[in-house]
Amino acid sequence: MEFSELIRTGRAQAELLRGPGAPPLRGTLCVTGHHLLLSPGPQATSDLWLLLLRSVDSIEKRVAGDSGTITLRCKDLRVLQLDIEGVEATLDIARSIEALSSLESVITSFPFFYRPKGLRLGDAWHFHPPEHHYKRVARETNAWRLSEVNEDFSVCPSYPRAVIVPRAVDDDALARSARFRQGGRFPVLSYHHAPSGTVLLRSSQPLTGPQKRRCAEDEELLRAVLAGARPGARGFIVDTRSAQAAKQARMTGGGTEAKAAYPGWKRLHRPMERGRPLQESFVRLVEACGDLEQSMDRWLSRLEGCRWLAHVKEALSTACLAAQGMEREGACILVHGAEGTDSTLLVTSLAQLILDPLSRTMTGFQELVEREWIQAGHPFQLRCAHSAFSHARPKHEAPTFLLFLDCVWQLGRQFPLSLEFGEGLLLALFEHAYASPFGTFLCNSEKERCLCEVRTRTHSLWSGLNQPKEQRKLRNPLYVLNPLAIWPSVEPQSLRLWQGLFLRWTRPPEPSEAAWEKVWQIVTDKEKTEGSQPTVSASEPQP
Amino acid sequence: MSLLRGLLGMELIGISVRPFLDFQERLALLDSALILDVPLGVISRIEKMGGATSRGENSYGLDITCKDMRNLRFALKQEGHSRRDMFEILTRHAFPLAHSLPIFAFLNEEKFNVDGWLVYNPVEEYRRQGLPNHHWRITFINKCYELCDTYPSLLVVPYRASDEDLRRVATFRSRNRIPVLSWIHPENKTVIVRCSQPLVGMSGKRNKDDEKYLDVIRETNRQISKLTIYDARPNVNAVANKATGGGYESDDAYHNAELFFLDIHNIHVMRESLKKVKDIVYPNVEESHWLSSLESTHWLEHIKLVLTGAIQVADKVSSGKSSVLVHCSDGWDRTAQLTSLAMLMLDSFYRSIEGFEILVQKEWISFGHKFASRIGHGDKNHADADRSPIFLQFIDCVWQMSKQFPTAFEFNEQFLITILDHLYSCRFGTFLYNCESARERQKVTERTVSLWSLINSNKDKFKNPFYTKEINRVLYPVASMRHLELWVNYYIRWNPRIKQQQPNPVEQRYLELLALRDEYIKRLEELQLANSAKLSDPSTSPSSPSQMMPHVQTHF
Repeated sequence: MEFSELIRTGRAQAELLRGPGAPPLRGTLCVTGHHLLLSPGPQATSDLWLLLLRSVDSIEKRVAGDSGTITLRCKDLRVLQLDIEGVEATLDIARSIEALSSLESVITSFPFFYRPKGLRLGDAWHFHPPEHHYKRVARETNAWRLSEVNEDFSVCPSYPRAVIVPRAVDDDALARSARFRQGGRFPVLSYHHAPSGTVLLRSSQPLTGPQKRRCAEDEELLRAVLAGARPGARGFIVDTRSAQAAKQARMTGGGTEAKAAYPGWKRLHRPMERGRPLQESFVRLVEACGDLEQSMDRWLSRLEGCRWLAHVKEALSTACLAAQGMEREGACILVHGAEGTDSTLLVTSLAQLILDPLSRTMTGFQELVEREWIQAGHPFQLRCAHSAFSHARPKHEAPTFLLFLDCVWQLGRQFPLSLEFGEGLLLALFEHAYASPFGTFLCNSEKERCLCEVRTRTHSLWSGLNQPKEQRKLRNPLYVLNPLAIWPSVEPQSLRLWQGLFLRWTRPPEPSEAAWEKVWQIVTDKEKTEGSQPTVSASEPQP
Repeated sequence: MSLLRGLLGMELIGISVRPFLDFQERLALLDSALILDVPLGVISRIEKMGGATSRGENSYGLDITCKDMRNLRFALKQEGHSRRDMFEILTRHAFPLAHSLPIFAFLNEEKFNVDGWLVYNPVEEYRRQGLPNHHWRITFINKCYELCDTYPSLLVVPYRASDEDLRRVATFRSRNRIPVLSWIHPENKTVIVRCSQPLVGMSGKRNKDDEKYLDVIRETNRQISKLTIYDARPNVNAVANKATGGGYESDDAYHNAELFFLDIHNIHVMRESLKKVKDIVYPNVEESHWLSSLESTHWLEHIKLVLTGAIQVADKVSSGKSSVLVHCSDGWDRTAQLTSLAMLMLDSFYRSIEGFEILVQKEWISFGHKFASRIGHGDKNHADADRSPIFLQFIDCVWQMSKQFPTAFEFNEQFLITILDHLYSCRFGTFLYNCESARERQKVTERTVSLWSLINSNKDKFKNPFYTKEINRVLYPVASMRHLELWVNYYIRWNPRIKQQQPNPVEQRYLELLALRDEYIKRLEELQLANSAKLSDPSTSPSSPSQMMPHVQTHF
């Protein structure tokens, strides 16, 4: 397929309005295979303006007289307005953008063409392989091993090649346990909490079905987990569905672990919203944030009506429950819902942030996202196909990853010194998850990434982010290593709307940035005066 | 404070009561060494709960309502009638006015190395503003508070208005609170003038002197042909005030003035609104519908209206280049809020610690905000309709501004909270009495200590490390509901579920960084000195900063 077939017009004269604070840009507008360009003409001082077409969420066109207006609503929640000379040109450009922004093919997407200066292909892809995580676990305990039972993705298509499992369980047993779990997602290690000698596991629901089937190998696996933990450890299964929903799942072949079959394990139900209702909550919130007309005295109840903060609270408190189980009760925790690719990952990754100081460093957090979201098979391609503005009928879209980022932001707000990264990194991850020149968030699983050769043919976001020039935007200058667990408050007055994301494009940003800039100044001043003396700086992670 | 605690503490120990806080989880403090530090001035109401026949634990004792958003409950043993003594002692000391006892500030013998009473000197403050000048003069007509008993003795009025004019204008303004200058723009010379409502009444009375006086004010500024009048009240309230003799400036009487209503509600509405805030935060935070409950208190909406009004005043003066006259009914509540907030937006001097003290001292204390009536110092009549959180609301607005402009204010959140704590504590004379004349009669400055003595002798504690001094920057906060927040650290600070990690970890950490930088710079200089003295090897290496940082303590 040729992009040129979809591009209906070469260029047009246009003016771009970028919302409050940014001056309008005039110049020649041009659509290419992956971008919308605005070239401000030879005598202008400003640079070329560039928008990745993939980041367009919805497009609206209006024509009047001999000119037209295109409103682009982007996946990062920006709203752009283009005033274009010529009715034909307007319609052609609109049609081109529509066609090009909704292309579904992965291998023709921009990351496969993006070749930035200063980066080499394949640089950061093996930055965080499963072996790397296993090395850490193996230093702390020998009850676990790295299994390559899924080497060819045949046991579980959404798992990576290698997973960490109890040493006592062999690969055949794993394969059988996989057949008893939806999508083959048998229980694997997510995090080993060394201080308490307990573990966090994740999986999908067991396929007990209406006949209440059992699987000896699956039961054996969970028994081995308890045996490998500290003596006398109990286990909790945190089911992210309500007891009712879990029971109903039996009708469609799913279900929950029967009490009698898994001695030592106790089931807890913590219902969390997912899928369509979560997406709708996101859409409503963005709508409310962008609605400048609506009477302001109704803002708080409208914000409440969106239920987004309620979802933040659910996610954080379930993660606290899991973390508390490990740290305070000395229990092993298995988390699953139905597929185990959404709210499950939300809980396991947040629980680690609460407990593990390493995951709160810059590299540790990137590793966490890579391991617990990307390699763990969160279907980014499906979930982030559209953002909050799209008029397309929602299929599999859900802002689970955004909800995770919001929860992390809440943690950062409550513990302003304990995260090595700042809001900037979270905003970048949000943007790149929905539309990116990098390959990191492409596809739904490692298997697909392998088929598309994503790791050899695209650049990794981590290489992009870890360039020195990006650091000031992404890091938290006030960071100090905090070896303790950070227990967030989930009281309603402690949770806030993430203004930096949801009101990012409608508020004047400078006052808060001035303070931030000041902190950076002092930190760099300090580092400068430290001079070349080889001291450990506070901004470097310390194990 | 030590005397206060001594008073209460001794009695409590003497009758061996079991103090505990009544929270959801019944935090009993029986065995803990917790010392409750409650200045008696904070107490608004003391009630006995339960009778001699009450059954059940903790059903018998005292219930104490405080002015600072909390209630305390002491459970007592029924035997021995110990409660009666304690009730009487507490009542006597918490409400000294009813027992012809002095307010605590008059007994307080604290000494500080700075005298806060010297912070505000009106002549100096007006001189700082460039006054007197060709158009404005300082008058001592109110020296003995004869013109207006709730105004300060020193006033700034138009040069062209004679003392006789002032006396005639006073007859037409509620409580004789004539229009006088609060602030003058250093460049365009427009002014903010404050007063009370005109006594128009039902019959629509006019007063030539008042009309002429406003015209004289207008003429001090030649840039705009109109004087802008901001009436803080909602239009309907202003009309309703005619029935009691008040009213507003009508178009036909004041040709050269433009009148706008700012829709800010009266003291009763504000009191009820704050009461609702307390209901949803204490003792338990309303969980299930937090945001809509918060909305239904309308507190943030009132904050928004006050801020919006002040922004309009500031904008008119700064960009509109028009002089502004601000009044409400009596000109001591909403008017004080508007003029002081507008001045805070316009004049960076007031954003420093001493500048803010001067602002409070000038616009609130000297111009007769009725602190005694609004707070009810030492008065047992807790249901008094004159009580209202107008000053608290002002401080809340300042806090909202400091959130939006983190580098613009020299003071931190602790400064604002400290001011509010001592608004009630009666430890200092600063907020006692309704007006300057009463304070003078009671010799407050001689017989009590000023709150600013406490603050200025320990300024570092109240400094915002992010402060960047800027001259001539006008601050326009965003007064939209989306950008206003409930001041959780103040209103919900007594809730045990609000974790106090550190006073403010960010400030703390920033101070550490500043100190570290200074230390490095010093060391560098030393090394350079040593180097220049003789070519030696700089081998000292500073210790890792992360080892020196205290770790954040967390609790679940």
